[in-house]
Amino acid sequence: MKTFRRLVETLLGAFCVALIVTLTALVLVAVAYRQLGASLTWYDEVATVLLAWLTYYGAAFAMLKRGHLGSPELLMRLPIAPRRVLFVVSEALVIGFFAVVAWTGAEVVVLLKGDGLISLPWVSVQVTQSVMPLGAAMFILCQLLSVRDEWAVIRLGGNVVKESV
Amino acid sequence: MATLLILLGLIALVLLNVPIAAAIGIVALAGTVALHGTENLLNVAITMYEGTRSFPLLAVPLFILAGGIMNAGGISRRLIEFAAALFGSFRGGLAMVDIGVSMFFAEISGSAVADVAATGGIMIPAMKKKGYPAEFAAATTSSSASLAIIIPPSIPMILYGTLAGASIVQLFVAGIVPGLIGGFGLMAVAYGFARRYGFAAGEAFRLARLWQAFKAAAWAFLLPIIILGGIFGGVVTATEGAGLAVLAALFVSGVIYREIDWRFLYRCALEGVVQTAVVMLLIATSALLGVLLTETRVPQQLAAAVTSLTTDKTLVLALLNVLFFVLGFVLHSAAAIILVVPIVLPIVNAIGLDLVHFGIIVTLNLAIGQQTPPVASVLIVTCSIARTDIWATTRWNIPYIGVLIGVLLMVTYVPSTCMALVEFFYR
Repeated sequence: MKTFRRLVETLLGAFCVALIVTLTALVLVAVAYRQLGASLTWYDEVATVLLAWLTYYGAAFAMLKRGHLGSPELLMRLPIAPRRVLFVVSEALVIGFFAVVAWTGAEVVVLLKGDGLISLPWVSVQVTQSVMPLGAAMFILCQLLSVRDEWAVIRLGGNVVKESV
Repeated sequence: MATLLILLGLIALVLLNVPIAAAIGIVALAGTVALHGTENLLNVAITMYEGTRSFPLLAVPLFILAGGIMNAGGISRRLIEFAAALFGSFRGGLAMVDIGVSMFFAEISGSAVADVAATGGIMIPAMKKKGYPAEFAAATTSSSASLAIIIPPSIPMILYGTLAGASIVQLFVAGIVPGLIGGFGLMAVAYGFARRYGFAAGEAFRLARLWQAFKAAAWAFLLPIIILGGIFGGVVTATEGAGLAVLAALFVSGVIYREIDWRFLYRCALEGVVQTAVVMLLIATSALLGVLLTETRVPQQLAAAVTSLTTDKTLVLALLNVLFFVLGFVLHSAAAIILVVPIVLPIVNAIGLDLVHFGIIVTLNLAIGQQTPPVASVLIVTCSIARTDIWATTRWNIPYIGVLIGVLLMVTYVPSTCMALVEFFYR
C-alpha cells in the first residue's frame, strides 16, 4: 500500500507541476504575442481550462498531503471513542460528496459528446470536462490512501499546520 | 430559516473536521436536494467546473510560484542582507530587518505564507542567536508577513476583486499606503520592545557594507519595478503581471545569480500546487453555495435586516468590522473572503460604499485574522518554524495586532488613506 501511495504521490505531483509550468508558459507566450500585436484567440479559454485541471488534480494531491483547510481542534479534544466515530463520519461525508461530484461529472461528460471548445472546436469538451469525474475519483483515492496517517494524527492529538494564502 | 440552516450545517461540519471546502459543498448539495430534489444534481459538476474557470484567478498559482522561485534562487537571502546593512545597527535591528524585508517581499509576492517561508527560516534563527526571545522573533515575523496581503500584489485582493467585481489594479493601488503605514507602525513597536527589553543592536552601520549589499541585491530591486510598474502602467493585466513575476524571478535567480536549486524549486512548485488547489477548491464549492444563496435570497434578506436597523455608514462599517474580526478567530483568510464577501455585498451596496475601499477593509481584517488563534494560518506556520507555543507568541504579538487594527480603523473611517491614490490615478 505504501509503495502504491508513493507511486500516486510521485505521478500526480509531477502531473500537477507540469500543469502549473504549462499554465505559466502559456500566460507568458500570450503576453508576448499580444505585445507583438498578434493576440492568441484561444488563450483565455485554454488557460482557464488548465486552471480547472490544476484545481481538481491539485486538490486530490493536497488531500493526499491532508493539506485542505479544516478545524480539527474540537475533534482532538474528545475522548477516543466518540473521536473515532466522528472521524469516520467526517471521512464518509467527504467521500460521499466527491462521489456525487464524480457521478454528476461523468453524466455531464456523456451529455457533452460532439461539443468542442469555442476557440478551438477540434478540442473536445469531453476531454476538458473529464477533470470533474476523474479529479473527484482521484480525490477519493487520495483520501483513502491517506486516511490511516490522518487517523494517527487525530488519535494522538498532534499539532496540525494548515497553510493558506 | 434558510440562513440559520446553512450556518448551522456549516458550523457542524467544520467542527467535525470536514475540510471547509467540502463542508461548503455538502451544505450546498443538501440545500439543492432539499429545494429541487435530485433533478438539478447535474448542475453540481457544471457549477463547480465553471466556478474555477475565472481568468483573474490565474494570477493565484503564478504569484505563489513566483514566491517559491525567489526563495529557491537566492533573492530572499540577498534582500535580507541588504536590509541587515540598512537597519541592523538599530537597537533590536534584526526585528527591523525582518519587517523591512517583509515589506519588500510583499511587493513581489502576494501571499503571507510565502513571506514567512522566505524570511522565517533565516530571520527567526538569527534573532534567537542574538538573544531575542523566540516568541518575540516569531511574533515579529508573523505579523510583518501579513503585510504581504496588504501591499500589492495580493492574492486575497485578487480573490476579493473576482468575487465582488472590483478592479484588481485599483485594489492593488489602494493597498500601498495602508501597507506602508502598517510596516512602519510594526517597526515602531519592534523598536519599543527592543528599548524596553534591552535587545542588542547588530553590526555598526557601514556605508561600504550597505553599498556591497545593494549591489548584490540590485537585480532583486528591479523585480517590483517590473511587476508593479507593468500592472500599474497598464502594460500588463494583474494575471499577466503574475506571469511576468515568475519570468523575472527565474531570470534573476537562474541567469544573474545562477543559484537555482532545482530540487528545492520542484518542492516549491508542489507546495504552490497545494496552496493553489486549497484556495481554488474553496472557490469551486462556494460557487455551488452561491447558487443556493441566490435561490434562497439569503444575502438580500440579510441586507434588508441590517439596513432596517440602520443605514448609518459608520455603524454598518463597525458591524462589518466586528463580524470579520470575530470570523478571523475561527476561519482561514481565503475561506473568510470566499464565504462572507458574497453574503455582505448587498449590505455594502445598500450603504453606498466604494467596492475598492471595502476590499481594503476586508484585506486588513484578513491580515488581522491571520494573527488571531486558534485559526491563524500565518501565526501557526511561523510558530512551527520558530518552535514556539502559539499562545505565548500571541502575547508578544498583541501590540503588533494593535498596529494592524489601528490601520484598519484609519482606513475604515478616513477613506482617503487608501483611496487618495486611486482617485488621483484612476478616477
